[in-house]
Amino acid sequence: MSRFQSTAKTYIRPMSGWWLKNPYFIRYMIREGSAVFLTLYALVLLAGLACLAWSPEAYAAWRGLLDTPLSLGFHVIALLLVAYHSLTWFQVMPKTAPKLPFDPRLIVRGGLAASAGLSLLILVLLWWVTR
Amino acid sequence: MPDATTRTIEIECFRYDPETDAKPRFQRYQVPFTDDMSVLQGLQYIKDHLDGSLTFRWSCRMAICGSCGKMINGVPQLSCHSFLRDYYPRRVRVEPLNHFPVIRDLVIDQSGFLDHLETVKPYLIPKEEQPLAAGPQRQTPLQMDRYYQYSQCINCLLCYSACPQFGLNPDFTGPAALALLHRYNADSRDQGWSARREVTNAEEGVWSCTLVGYCSEVCPKGVDPAHAINQNKVNSTLDYFGILKFLLPRGDAK
Amino acid sequence: MNIIKSDIVVVGGGGAGLRAALAAHQSDPGLSISLISKVVPMRSHTVAAEGGSAGVIRDEDSLDKHFDDTVSGGDWLCDQDAVQYFVEHCTEEMIQLEHWGCPWSRQDDGRVNVRFFGGMTVQRTWFAADKSGFHILHTLFQTSLKYPAIRRYDEFFVADLLVEDGRVRGVLAIEIATGAFFLFDCKTVILCTGGAARVYSQNTNAGIVTGEGMGMAYRHGVALRDMEFVQYHPTALAGTGILITEGCRGEGAILTNRHGYRYLQDYGLGPLDPWPRPKAMELGPRDRLSQAFWHEDQKGNTIETSQGRVVNLDLRHLGAQKIHERLPLITEVARTFVGIDPVTQPIPVRPAAHYTMGGIACNRWTETALPGLYAAGECSSVGIHGANRLGSNSLAEIVVFGRVAGERAAAYARELPDGDSRSIRQQAEESASRLLALLECQSGERVATLRDELGASMETGIGIFREDSGMRATCDTLAGLRARYRAGIKLDDRSRAFNTEWLSAIELGFMLEVAEAMAHSAVQRQESRGAHVRLDAYQTRDDDRYLTHSLARYSGDGPPTIDYAPVTITRSSPQTRHYGGAGQRAELT
Repeated sequence: MSRFQSTAKTYIRPMSGWWLKNPYFIRYMIREGSAVFLTLYALVLLAGLACLAWSPEAYAAWRGLLDTPLSLGFHVIALLLVAYHSLTWFQVMPKTAPKLPFDPRLIVRGGLAASAGLSLLILVLLWWVTR
Repeated sequence: MPDATTRTIEIECFRYDPETDAKPRFQRYQVPFTDDMSVLQGLQYIKDHLDGSLTFRWSCRMAICGSCGKMINGVPQLSCHSFLRDYYPRRVRVEPLNHFPVIRDLVIDQSGFLDHLETVKPYLIPKEEQPLAAGPQRQTPLQMDRYYQYSQCINCLLCYSACPQFGLNPDFTGPAALALLHRYNADSRDQGWSARREVTNAEEGVWSCTLVGYCSEVCPKGVDPAHAINQNKVNSTLDYFGILKFLLPRGDAK
Repeated sequence: MNIIKSDIVVVGGGGAGLRAALAAHQSDPGLSISLISKVVPMRSHTVAAEGGSAGVIRDEDSLDKHFDDTVSGGDWLCDQDAVQYFVEHCTEEMIQLEHWGCPWSRQDDGRVNVRFFGGMTVQRTWFAADKSGFHILHTLFQTSLKYPAIRRYDEFFVADLLVEDGRVRGVLAIEIATGAFFLFDCKTVILCTGGAARVYSQNTNAGIVTGEGMGMAYRHGVALRDMEFVQYHPTALAGTGILITEGCRGEGAILTNRHGYRYLQDYGLGPLDPWPRPKAMELGPRDRLSQAFWHEDQKGNTIETSQGRVVNLDLRHLGAQKIHERLPLITEVARTFVGIDPVTQPIPVRPAAHYTMGGIACNRWTETALPGLYAAGECSSVGIHGANRLGSNSLAEIVVFGRVAGERAAAYARELPDGDSRSIRQQAEESASRLLALLECQSGERVATLRDELGASMETGIGIFREDSGMRATCDTLAGLRARYRAGIKLDDRSRAFNTEWLSAIELGFMLEVAEAMAHSAVQRQESRGAHVRLDAYQTRDDDRYLTHSLARYSGDGPPTIDYAPVTITRSSPQTRHYGGAGQRAELT
């Protein structure tokens, strides 16, 4: 089928600020933005690794930097955003899976439970190692 | 049963007349309503009794024709399916569906969607045509279940106004059309994957979706277009690496 | 004036129009086809049909049974040659829809499932849950996208037919978005514009079902046939008139009055047991069920609600699983519009105007008396519905006769040489200036005022039950409304772009005339038959005088003239309609 193309005059509404107009979109943008903090955090860790390989002084300097209030603030924000990122990651996961014979919420809950359990396990291990 | 007492609510409508207005404006109306009245019935009251120039689409009144989608307090909804009682005593703000050009007042230009719909080839593409004398093809309830949900799309376009990616790039094929693409790909009577390959794999196809996911939230029929699209990102990837053709259960009509 | 030339113009993008366009294209791919619709095709009212479509498929069923159910359902006012053709072609059209992708509901082994409908001897209704019309319409629309030769004019309002040398040669349309006039110059026109039940205030129809296709043909001298027969659907929501499908009863739902009593057993549809059994109790025909409601209401056995008086449609015994699987739409509708979950509470329902059995008179090949003009679907009267349409015959009708119309019009267009249709340009200009005059009228009444009075008057005078004085009063009211309409309609909106108030005013003009055809046909039929039941001196069927089709003919500003034409009877002579009585219990699949 082909369609007659109208020449009607239309008004096109601007898209500027679209993501502020709906809480759903704000959450989406935080989700996307959280990836930036995830990357930054990974870079910080990488830098630490590089310093460790470089020299004990460099590593000590890197650790010193971690002790600053700026770094602490960054890590608190990064922790929150990473937690939010994993939450949303599991929330969208069923959308990428084929049609499942069970309630897709099981994936979300299972994923969240697994990630919480693993985080706890690492904490316990760390506590055990550094005890 | 609903309460029959009459109260008055303020409805604020987006107005734009292409013949006289350079820019849109808002106009408020005082509308008496009873508990069973939908936002659509509120608009009809305005049209019949207060201002015959207020322009909007509607038809079936029962959420199946897909005509009456509007932004109601910023949320895309079918106006026949949302009720004034749920907004009272606050004001209801009614705007045309987001992300579409406005023809007039609450009427949007849906031609972009109609063009996208055509590109996904939303019809069965069998390997060979069956003669009618062969009778109905068999399809078990389980086979139906694979596509049935996606066949429920009423083309109301709420999902497009929930999709910022479509708003930013109207060339994006968009949620409803891609859900219908998947509806046919998933049908046991269809072998049209490669006929639909190009539009699926295109940047304006499934890859323009960033999984905002709001399309599935606003869908009044539970179609879940986000699910349809994102399953096909996996398929599109498998196709790119040449693996998909081994996985298509029914082969392909080419 | 924009001019568009094509071989065939199809007016209306519902099931009939789409099927006609597809058939015309498939029978001759070289023809150019314009499909004009005042809404984008998938918004058409076919979308709201719920229950399903008839087609003989079960071993214990036969074409003869479908024929007999249809003819007796229609109280013998059916043209039996048309019915014969119809029943012979329903099933292949259902199969065609299946091959095009329609998701018919299936049995566990993958075969198509069928359900009971009222007035049926055997299960015969193909269904796609309770969204059959929706799936049929979208299947046809999406299939039509395959064929670029079918050129679509979405949201174009056809306002007039253009006739030259006694042949239809075009239509005048308004492009709604801009208000611009378009002349479609063509060899043949197929009207598939749907019914006219919006002339009633309580109706199950979408806002677009305003009868202008009937009105246009009527103004050009084509008779409207059997217009007095308007079907009340027995189960609609009070207030809104939203349809609650007969499929509910086909699945086993029951109707009870305020005492919880299944009142249908008192109106010739009993006895109660064995239940369920075909053509009895809740599986009786629509006219009888609507009439039984009226009697219960007179006896004070209905239930008072804020939306008027109702009875209960009870599905609870079907269980949640069956309700959700077979009747998802009505579950959602009941929840949204009356706040009721049918799994735990009965749905309050009452009759509402639903379907116009009559329409543009045509033969069984969909040809009207005006050469080149074809009609299919609810706007037409091809002769299969008689005085009362059998549930699930209308969806079958749109595809069976939509196809016939497409093929016939294609053959006609092929044979007609390219004409030099000069005078239609002038006709179109004149017609356009009349429409513009309506837009520019400076004084008068509001569209809604006249429309509401029309609906109320039809409801009281030409309702479920009729009597001479009431019908005459409605005829007088309609004449008055037409005079007021001529005196002027004042529009708030003078704009050309998407002026829906202007279009409503044009529609109102057609509605008034079509309603007048209904009312005058009704008052002159001095008998009771099917959906036309009188409470005055004419309470029984009178085959000696009225086994005839009524034909309403337009006569300008005055009332229509009514004359009669014979009914084609081939093998089933009129008998008493039998419902209820003893019978075998039926197994519902």
